[in-house]
Amino acid sequence: MKIGLFIPCYVNAVYPEVGIAAFKLLKSLGLEVDYPLNQTCCGQPMANAGFEAEATRLALRMEDLFAAYEYVVGPSASCVAFVKENHPHILEEAGHVCQNSEKIYDICEFLHDVVKPTHLQAEFPHKVSLHNSCHGVRELHLSSPSERNIPYYSKLRDLLQLVKGIEVFEPKRIDECCGFGGMFSIEEPEVSVCMGKDKVRDHMSTGAEYITGADSSCLMHMQGVINREQLPIKTIHIVQILAAGL
Amino acid sequence: MSSKEDILARIRQNTRTRYEMPDLKLDAITYEDKIHTFIEQLKAGGGEAHLLQPGEKVDEVIRSYYPDAKRIASNLPEIGCATFNPDELSDPRELDGTDLAIVKGSFGVAENAAVWLPKQTRHKAVFFISNALVILLDKEEIVHNMNEAYRRLADADYDYGVFMSGPSKTADIEQALVFGAHGPIRVTVVLV
Amino acid sequence: MTTKHAIAGTRFIANETQEKWHDETLWMVRAKRDKQSRSLPEWERLRDLASAIKMYSNSHLDTLLEEFERNAVANGAIVHWAKDAEEHNRIVYDILKQHGAKNLIKSKSMLTEECEMSPYLFSKGIDVVESDLGERILQLMKLKPSHIVLPAIHVKRQAIGQMMEEKLGTEPGNYDPTYLTHAMRRHLRDKFLHADVAMTGANFAVASTGEIVVCTNEGNADMGTSFPKVHIATFGMEKIVPNREALGVFTRLLARSGTGQPVTSYTSHYRRPPEGGEFHIIIVDNGRSDILADADHVKTLNCIRCGECMNTCPVYRRTGGYSYTYFIPGPIGINLGMLRNPKQFADNVSACSLCLSCSNVCPAKVDLGEQIYKWRQKLDRIGRANPEKKLMSAGMKFLMERPALFNTALKFAPVVNHLPRFMVYNAANAWGKGRELPAFAKESFNDLWKKNKVK
Repeated sequence: MKIGLFIPCYVNAVYPEVGIAAFKLLKSLGLEVDYPLNQTCCGQPMANAGFEAEATRLALRMEDLFAAYEYVVGPSASCVAFVKENHPHILEEAGHVCQNSEKIYDICEFLHDVVKPTHLQAEFPHKVSLHNSCHGVRELHLSSPSERNIPYYSKLRDLLQLVKGIEVFEPKRIDECCGFGGMFSIEEPEVSVCMGKDKVRDHMSTGAEYITGADSSCLMHMQGVINREQLPIKTIHIVQILAAGL
Repeated sequence: MSSKEDILARIRQNTRTRYEMPDLKLDAITYEDKIHTFIEQLKAGGGEAHLLQPGEKVDEVIRSYYPDAKRIASNLPEIGCATFNPDELSDPRELDGTDLAIVKGSFGVAENAAVWLPKQTRHKAVFFISNALVILLDKEEIVHNMNEAYRRLADADYDYGVFMSGPSKTADIEQALVFGAHGPIRVTVVLV
Repeated sequence: MTTKHAIAGTRFIANETQEKWHDETLWMVRAKRDKQSRSLPEWERLRDLASAIKMYSNSHLDTLLEEFERNAVANGAIVHWAKDAEEHNRIVYDILKQHGAKNLIKSKSMLTEECEMSPYLFSKGIDVVESDLGERILQLMKLKPSHIVLPAIHVKRQAIGQMMEEKLGTEPGNYDPTYLTHAMRRHLRDKFLHADVAMTGANFAVASTGEIVVCTNEGNADMGTSFPKVHIATFGMEKIVPNREALGVFTRLLARSGTGQPVTSYTSHYRRPPEGGEFHIIIVDNGRSDILADADHVKTLNCIRCGECMNTCPVYRRTGGYSYTYFIPGPIGINLGMLRNPKQFADNVSACSLCLSCSNVCPAKVDLGEQIYKWRQKLDRIGRANPEKKLMSAGMKFLMERPALFNTALKFAPVVNHLPRFMVYNAANAWGKGRELPAFAKESFNDLWKKNKVK
């Protein structure tokens, strides 16, 4: 099983430690992981802003970078969802059949559904509040969307249950949007910030010390709110918890 | 070209894939005790239910619920407490000021406490204009859910009919629930 | 970099008390809806069926509308066809004129709003009286609805009470909702009794029986039609359903979705004209037949106007209905506005974080969020793309397509971490409104990997 590690642009630039944790975690499970050099962006920011065509060359580039791998695994649900949901029709217009969409996984999804570890070394003696990010929930099905009448499940919670000492909570509005939304965060900044504040408060009301989830972009937005308001809670990507101690 | 022909032509021109009608069979919810569920749902929606006990007389029950009602409308022959027959009025406006109307439901629906009321009086206003409404309903005539209800109505003939569930209500002022927006403020279903 | 929605939304948020109340109250409706949807194990199956029935009916409008007309005529109704708003309004006015009507009592109808019927009739000297309590309050306050199901959700009881003091002579300072509602009941009772002609919309029109179905909680449609000799019912043609059995699916979804009730208080079936009177039914196109040809957006015709996409939308809840430029706000309104006139209503397309809650909540499975994404792709072609956003996007594209440049940029990015605050958080930096910028890493993942530091 040859895994190509997909490191989205902002993880590369802002959260390299999330990439490192992802790498270590996969390695620790005995998997063959490689990072194809010089990755940039999947094109989601441009496409969500309304310029899907600007993602074409980036999508093609990703196809080349990951052609040799059986799986593409990344620590960002939203970017993975974009490749899965949108690269196929973007590439179709360029006369290319998308390969990545069939083999790309968010790292939590990959661990939960493919690797299925029964134990982890990780220990994290803290209270965490799960951030069920929109695209993780409603596109990648990492947990049951609150709108649907289907039995509750959460792949993130299942994985965190393998971590020693952790206490997992969820906010009252279990999967309400945090307001990041890519370009939405700067096109409607006041609304985005208002949603962000509400979301952080909801996480705080659980009594958690950390907000954790599969999307660094949501966490980056909420951390921005936390820092501005100087709130007593921190954000941490879920792979950093799962890889704790590695 | 008439507007009708024009519209139909545009529809035909613009319709793409024609989808099949789905099979509407579904495993809709059923309740162990339909009468109980009906009563619970009616209460939740602001209505009142009275399960007629052996020996109780409908007229007396109605009177006990509405001791102060003065103008009572009903065209039901079995109702003795009515003070007038609304079918004798030529103008439905004369019904204004009715305290209580008594009508008969054909069947009820357990899942939402709706009662099917086909028009049974000369003026359908009887259902709506009085301050309170008593609906007599055979407790054996309760179906589980709306799917069943509409199958029952598949070929029914009526001029007008309404599924009524509890009193008239509104929450248009700050989402505060108030009964009696326009229609009955109180609705009592007497299960006989 | 901003849209009319963003500007108006910012104003709404500035009144924090009101914004919080609006958000929480509508969230409560969403919570009630969740409870109701979970009371039915077959909920998701009902949504599938509702969607499938609409896909069938909207792809068979030609035959179903003709079937409806045949049956309605057999019931004694008079059926009219209106190509557009203008024809619709003229038909209504002609009926009123024929009967020498001076006033019209009408229940809530999004279609008459769409056709701007009331202003037209007022200009012809007809007194149009809204009979839905919320709509009547707004009419007396000279305000527009801000929600399709909860029209006065943005108005506080004090404002309503003060208006009623002035216009209806209610007790000064009495803002109790029950008191005000019952005062409105008396006011409208008089209007009902003295109405010349009644008008309703329709939630459903049943092809196999030629009847129309109107759902209300107040009973205002029924009161309205109980006294005048003439009833005009109007519906957009996508309101057609094939038969009564289909109603069994929709009536179970509509109120549960819209207000979190198991059913509306009244689900009224109008089949034959009132005694000695006339029953007019108007079938309206007004752009709907064009939507049939639009594969990306045809599913908007599935909409049953429950309003739940507004209640669930995190943006709508925090910005209110008036922040949208189309008369229907929220996710469905963004889409319907674009279908009406994309250039005119493009400002609403920014009002979405693409969270997709609307698509999952919709009882008829309209792919609302996905459609907004598609509209964004079309903005540039119609000349309504935001120039700054376009520039940013093009800049990102330029950078991301050049890995060497991207890597160099990342090397220098940490410099931003040390810039003085005023340079980072100047007025042009929208991110800085309420948020700190993330700090760039000293070494990017790519650099770390190259230096063999990822182990």
